[in-house]
This record gives sequence, structure tokens and C-alpha cells, in this order.
Amino acid sequence: MIAPSRSITQRTQYYRNGMLLLLLLCVPAPGTSIGEPVTQGVIPETGLHYWEWQGQGALFRLTQRLPDQTRAFFLARGFAPEDADFLARKCVFQTLFKNTDPAGGATLEYDLDEWKVHAEGTTQGLLTRERWGGIWEARGLAQPARIAFEWSLLPTRQRYQPADYNWGMTSFGLEPGTRFDLDFFYAREGTRHNGRFEGVECPADVHPEPQE
Amino acid sequence: MIANKAKTLLFALALLGLIITQATEADNSPSTLHAVADRPMAPDFALADIDGAIHRLSDYRGQVVIVNFWATWCPPCREEMPSMQRAWEQIQDEDIVILAIDVGEDEDTIFTFTADYPVEFPLLLDLDSRVIQEWPVRGLPTTFIVDTQGRIAYRAIGTRDWEDSALLNTLKQLHDR
Repeated sequence: MIAPSRSITQRTQYYRNGMLLLLLLCVPAPGTSIGEPVTQGVIPETGLHYWEWQGQGALFRLTQRLPDQTRAFFLARGFAPEDADFLARKCVFQTLFKNTDPAGGATLEYDLDEWKVHAEGTTQGLLTRERWGGIWEARGLAQPARIAFEWSLLPTRQRYQPADYNWGMTSFGLEPGTRFDLDFFYAREGTRHNGRFEGVECPADVHPEPQE
Repeated sequence: MIANKAKTLLFALALLGLIITQATEADNSPSTLHAVADRPMAPDFALADIDGAIHRLSDYRGQVVIVNFWATWCPPCREEMPSMQRAWEQIQDEDIVILAIDVGEDEDTIFTFTADYPVEFPLLLDLDSRVIQEWPVRGLPTTFIVDTQGRIAYRAIGTRDWEDSALLNTLKQLHDR
């Protein structure tokens, strides 16, 4: 058996090291994203779907809420059953918006009134706090229930410094089971960014029974 | 041969260092308070806590006050309560006060909440949301740091790690000024 020459062994070693480094560079670092900033998935524990944007200093996530979840939440906060049902059937999502920049980074701003919902050939805006305010006024919702509702929603307009975020509900005013596309916008240090979630699904109004 | 082994070892150490750096950076999410320009005066309030005692913000002049707006149904608000309690245990002897203002809920709701999230600092009731509407708040939780002269010095939207030493130092330094 002929022993490999020193230069061949060295080259092999360099090659291995180079491949290792290449492999390492291909593995995304924790907390970073590669490729498309939009991801979609299912929460294993609940089976509910989510749509997420992570890029250009922002994390924005929509997670389905079953109409029954929304009914139960607002019934516990002073809503009459007919008002809780009315709201629950308006396509409510749990929502997170966060400035992901490190300390000293850019400021983010959004305005929900600029966002567009495309469904069944029409385009409309979100049902924001202000729009709901008029609806509840007309329906005569009691003040304590209105306070709980108002603060449960994602703010209509917000400005985030690095590490700031809000968690709240968003309502798209569509029937359960409707699919829609969402065009969303935000500004980062004055520069406008936009993204689109396609095929977002308002969760169906299902009432699962316990399995025997 | 020995030189090659040394190179491989150095390379492995470099890789390990890189991985550790990445992991550390990922865990080290910013926990900063944001300075409020020109430090506007904090709107005064007089609110009852869950035992009925009245707390007036202006009575705390000369102390640094953490004013936290929250609600029991708000998951991030619940999430930061334990860290706020642990911070309170560190700062309560340093003339730093925490006033956590619940928005729109009654004593019974908050009392039930404290069974799962025991806290020792005052939990105040803004039943009709009149106080929160006077403050620059758009979502919960939002927290303000009021300086010894009653001015809003810092603000945080969303949760923070209130035990973070850099954050606590910011509060202590504010007290010294």
C-alpha cells in the first residue's frame, strides 16, 4: 500500500475543512431567515393555521382564531351572546407585530387603514377599532364590554422602537371559511415595505364534539 | 501530521466559537427602554388598588415610578408579571415604585389573577379606561418610567425582562439624576 503524499493529505484536509465551512454557512443562524420572508404553517397543538412575515426589521404573524374562541373570550367580558356571535363571525385572527431590530436599530410604523383585503373579487379594508366603534355604538354595546374589545384589538396605528411589539386581534369582516389575500404595508425609518399573505383562510365556524 | 491535527483543532474551535456566538446573539434579544424626547409631564391620576387604597401618581414625586398598563386577558402582560415581581424585590428599597394599572377589569377578576401570578406591588383599577386614555398608549402592555420630577423619561411597548441588569441600572441612574 502506498502512503499518500503529504501534499495530498493536506489538500484532503483543506478540502474537508472547506466543505465543513461551506456547510456551516448554509445552515441559517438562529433567529435569521433565508429566502422568502413569508412562511405558513400549522400549530401542532391546535391545528390552527398561521401566516408569518419575517424580514426588513419586522415580524408580523396572523394566527387563526376559531369563532368559538372569540365568542367565549368576549362572553366572559360582558358581551351579550348576539354581539359575541356577530363579532366571532367577522373573521378574527390573533396578530403579532414586532420590531425585530436590535437596540439602536430602525423605527417601524404601520397603519391598518392602508392594508387591503382581497376576497371573492372585491377589495376592502380591515375592521379597525374605529370602524368597530361605530358598529358597537349602533348595537348599543355596554361600555365595559367596549373597553375590553377596544384594547383587545391590534392598534390601528403604531410606531415601534426596536424590541417593541403588540399582540392583539385583527378582524377582516369576512364570513367563516372565506379565503382572502392580504396586502400589508409598513414603514421602516421612512422607507415603505410591503408584503402579501395569499390564501389566508378565515377559520370555519365548527363546534367539535368530545370524542367518546 | 501534527501540524494538520493542530489546524483541524483550530478550525473546530473556530467553528465552535462561531456557533456559540450565533446562539448567544439569538438569545440576547434587546431589552431596552426607549428615551422619550423632551420628557413630557406624566398625566396625574388617583386610582384605587384591589384593597381600596388610593394611589395618586403625584404623591410619588421624588421617586422613580414604573407605570405599567395591562389586563389579565393579555398574554404578554401576564408573561411579564413574574419578571416585574422579581425586579420589584430588587428595587423596592431604592425608592423605585411599580404601579400596574389594569384596564377595564374589576377587583374580583384581578384577585383571581393574583392566585396564579402573585405580585406584591400595587395593582390599580382603571375601570372606565379614563386614565389610559390620557396617556400615550395604543396597545397593552405599555410601560412608562416616570422620573423623580414626574416626567415621562422612558417607554416600552410590549414585554421586557425587568430583571435585566442594564434595564435596572437605567432606572437606578434615573434616580440619581
